[in-house]
Amino acid sequence: MEKKSVSVTLENVTKKFKDVKGKADVIAVNNADFVVEPGELVTLLGPSGCGKTTTLRMVAGFELPTDGKILIGDTDVTMLPPNKRDTATMFQSYGLFPHMSVFDNVAYGLKLRKIPSEEIKKRVNESLELVGLATYGDRAPSKLSGGQQQRVALARSLIVTPSVLLLDEPLSNLDALLREQMRVEIKRIQKSLGITAIYVTHDRVEAMSLSDRVIVMKNGFIRQIGAPDVIYEQPDSRFVAGFVGKAAFFPVEIGSHEKGLWSCNLGGKEVKVAQAAPDVKKGDSAVLMARPESLRLEKTGLGHIDGKVRMNVYLGNSLESFVQTPFGEVLVQIDDPHSKKVYREGEDVSIGFSPDRVRILSRSED
Amino acid sequence: MFTKKRIIQFCLAAMVFIAADVWMYHSLNNSFSVYVEQRNNNEVGLFVQTAPEDQSDIALWLSGVSTIIPSSQAMYFAYDETSFDFKPTKDGSQVAEELWLANRQNPLFAQALESAYYLESMQLPSTFQATIDGERVPAKIFFAPIIAENGYEATGAVMILVPTSSASDFARLLRILAIGAGVAFLAIAWVITFTRDPVTGFMVLGLFIIVGIFVAFPLFEAIRLSFIRQGSFSFEAWKMALSPSYIVALWGSLRLGVSTATISTILGFIIAFLVERTSFKQKKLITTLATMPVISPPFSLSLSVILLFGNNGLISKQLLQLHNTSIYGLGGLTLVQTISMFPIAFLTISGVLRQIDSTVEDASLDLSATRWQTFKSITLPLTVPGILSAWMLVFTNSLADFANPLLLSGNLRVLSTEAYMMVTGRMNDLGGGAVLSFLLLLPTVSAFMVQRFWVSRKSFVTVTGKPSTSLTELTTTPVRRILSGVTWAVLGFILMLYLTIIAGCFVRNWGIDYTFTWENWKAIPDSWDSITSTVLLALVSAPVAGIIAMVAAMLIVRKKFPGKRLLEVLMMTPYAIPGTLIGIAYVIAFNKQPLILVGTGAIIVINYVIRELPVGLENGITALHQIDPSIEEAAQDLGADVPTVFKTIVLPLVRPAFISSMSYTFVRAMTAVSAIIFLISAKWYHLTIKILSYSENLRFGLASVLCTILIVIVLGVFALMQILVRDDKLTQKTISTR
Ligand SMILES: Nc1ncnc2c1ncn2[C@@H]1O[C@H](COP(=O)(O)OP(=O)(O)O)[C@@H](O)[C@H]1O
Ligand SMILES: [Mg+2]
Repeated sequence: MEKKSVSVTLENVTKKFKDVKGKADVIAVNNADFVVEPGELVTLLGPSGCGKTTTLRMVAGFELPTDGKILIGDTDVTMLPPNKRDTATMFQSYGLFPHMSVFDNVAYGLKLRKIPSEEIKKRVNESLELVGLATYGDRAPSKLSGGQQQRVALARSLIVTPSVLLLDEPLSNLDALLREQMRVEIKRIQKSLGITAIYVTHDRVEAMSLSDRVIVMKNGFIRQIGAPDVIYEQPDSRFVAGFVGKAAFFPVEIGSHEKGLWSCNLGGKEVKVAQAAPDVKKGDSAVLMARPESLRLEKTGLGHIDGKVRMNVYLGNSLESFVQTPFGEVLVQIDDPHSKKVYREGEDVSIGFSPDRVRILSRSED
Repeated sequence: MFTKKRIIQFCLAAMVFIAADVWMYHSLNNSFSVYVEQRNNNEVGLFVQTAPEDQSDIALWLSGVSTIIPSSQAMYFAYDETSFDFKPTKDGSQVAEELWLANRQNPLFAQALESAYYLESMQLPSTFQATIDGERVPAKIFFAPIIAENGYEATGAVMILVPTSSASDFARLLRILAIGAGVAFLAIAWVITFTRDPVTGFMVLGLFIIVGIFVAFPLFEAIRLSFIRQGSFSFEAWKMALSPSYIVALWGSLRLGVSTATISTILGFIIAFLVERTSFKQKKLITTLATMPVISPPFSLSLSVILLFGNNGLISKQLLQLHNTSIYGLGGLTLVQTISMFPIAFLTISGVLRQIDSTVEDASLDLSATRWQTFKSITLPLTVPGILSAWMLVFTNSLADFANPLLLSGNLRVLSTEAYMMVTGRMNDLGGGAVLSFLLLLPTVSAFMVQRFWVSRKSFVTVTGKPSTSLTELTTTPVRRILSGVTWAVLGFILMLYLTIIAGCFVRNWGIDYTFTWENWKAIPDSWDSITSTVLLALVSAPVAGIIAMVAAMLIVRKKFPGKRLLEVLMMTPYAIPGTLIGIAYVIAFNKQPLILVGTGAIIVINYVIRELPVGLENGITALHQIDPSIEEAAQDLGADVPTVFKTIVLPLVRPAFISSMSYTFVRAMTAVSAIIFLISAKWYHLTIKILSYSENLRFGLASVLCTILIVIVLGVFALMQILVRDDKLTQKTISTR
């Protein structure tokens, strides 16, 4: 049953919802335009209400785009109903059929395809075995635990060998430990089958650990697309920087740009910065973005920003220092604290960074 | 969706089809009118050949013209040898003479007479208006000579007037079919070209066609007919309805409605309070007894009240020797209606009481309010919306009630029966009947509006939502004794009424001769045809209504389509309309081309389905709201199309709602009367009407037997439903686990 992996393409897809009370339309997805490569796992990441589910549902066929085109492989599927698309969706609430046994749930898609019952039996049992539920065929779905239900849903989706797997926050109903297990499991199965997958989540750790690429969304707009490390280290906006990890922002005025280094004015001091978002230019008022682990603490006067340690939180492999500065409280993460000098609470310090570990972003909050 | 290509495709297809449609219509219409013309010419020719020799027989001969050419009229012109001219005579019909007088200056007429002189027949090219039976109808005019023995002389001429109505009936049918085909094609082409999911499109289209033809069209026709008198627009029917004589009937309906609603609501509240808010013991028994009247056949309670309190009643005459009191009239009617309708109030109010979280009452008692204060300031105000709803519901039901007034109204005149008399009585006035039932709609709709926009706004109860588990005793023992005393009295009375019916089955001649007999049971073989047709029609309509209701519920809850609101409103409309009006509207709409359905079993089934759809639809909508939509989406995602999703997922999951809609429809069909009394025929008769005619003829024994049979069938269905639905408890629970 080897299938060729296919790509999924969204061309300028927009979705507007008529507001129920006849007020202004809600633009749930605004001009989404991206390609998911064959066999790739792409995450849609963003806060609740940003249009992730709507995007996914348009790919599955449950919602019709107001504008734009959706292609699976080379076929335009924009107008096709869900049952005519080669996609399988795993729903947040699983959508198991409560009036059928686990076996019948998994067999449903095969029965629709008029496959002989002998083969159905064989394949269902195989796939139940694969998800570790071989002995649960006769149970009602309601008699299973959350994780088991989730695996039934996975087996049910995969048994029809879809070319695209769509997952809408599939792990959100599981407890933390199970979530980690299932995450690995999903990734393994997806890669071994070579299925193209789109994964919706609002959990950045999930997104970072699973995906080949992450699409960050806000208010219906796609804010950035990139590999997890790119998104984390080279965010193009304050929103993305803040959403995918902890970050401190310091207001700066951009001076000149020479030899790959920007020089900026940070609270009267001159600092050098190696990276900048594409939309900033000389003379702008911007912000300097720094991750807690790229900051270091030095003696007063040696670093770039002076402050006072307010609190230290010891985490074993690292130590988090909360430093009061003129720009507000800043979190500095000190890895391997035993090998470094630790400033005690109340001590005056200075925060320093090297130019290639910080990034200039436009000041806008979005 | 509306791409340029699709729009062009659609327009092309539409143009081709419409051109073909118009062409077909025209050629059919032409060949038909040519055929009619020829036939009329032939018939006129044949007719004049039968002219008598004797001038004195002419008048008789002329009057026979309509046996040869249906509804035609003729007039004779004698040949006057002195003036070489045809002179009009008095022989012939008045209609023809009037037409001649009106048109004799017309040169065409002179020309036609002249051609008669040359022994030629002639048909006038244009159509004329004639007045037949006070109605203006278009007619064709023929002139034909009457040729003497010798063969070259005309002894006279006849003018024959042939109304084109029979031909135009056919032409109208043709036109309707042509337009219908065009509209159907356009709609289908639209769905195919412009919708992503044609199956849903067709289902929506199908529902629109059903409600369009069987809800909107009859109501429209009823309204239209109410403004037409003798073929032209008039307010006469409405003037008649608003005349003092019918205002009295409206007043009667209102008085009856108010008294029934008020007493029923009070009773309903007492019993509901007892069941929901006290530590009273036999709650189950009480609930069962108190809901019995809802499913009892019409006429049964009236019948037993007559048996007990009528002129020859067991209690009124045999026991109390009363002679000058009468059960017929407002008092008796209120009594019977209250017994039949207080369960509605009981169910509504207990629903609301159950929703009130009794912790609010506990809180009040905690703050050291007395029980009475708590009741007055907490429980009662929270129940007010429920009480008002209950009142409105009973009020509406009382106005629409038709069966009880038919037997018991006495001197009290009420609109529902007046409308019935208007249609079936000497007047045979459908338009008048329609107007009277519209009058009935007025208070009903206003009650509905008040309920919808005022009462529902005042409702605080649904906020807490979850049914309370613990119960606080809100009454002192003496109060509870009084309440339960009232309750037992009412329920005892109900029980007595049912026992009376059963007793009635075995008594030779109630009121006169109380000896035991099996004779009444011959009602069963006598009415065997009615019994089978009643059961058959109910059996057919139950699944039809159930399926349509569930499909419609799925479309309304889960799908987006234009006109959804309109569809919902049209489907719910029959709920608010009195049965009398629906019955009359159906007779008006379906007794003519292109849908002659009156007299068939189909119209009765359709009527049941349309009238019971609203309740089924509500059931289905509620059930679907409780089901996670991703269950259906998962099925579709795995490759199921819309019908398969419906069959394998939706229907099994809403099974309880489906079964209860079916059994509800069945029971309502078994106990129908107000609409179908207009629709039954010799072939498709209904048991309730049989009971009515037995009761009217004072054959109470036979009527009792039929009532008993109906009750047994209905109870049987309810028991069956209980069993079927009980199996579903498990599935029902699991649907909401998520
Ligand atoms: N069926 C719908 N009707 C109207 N508005 C909707 C509908 N579905 C989603 N929306 C709106 O679209 C926006 C995006 O929703 P969604 O895609 O569910 O967000 P997310 O999955 O990212 O939390 C929200 O503002 C939501 O209120
Ligand atoms: Mg979502």
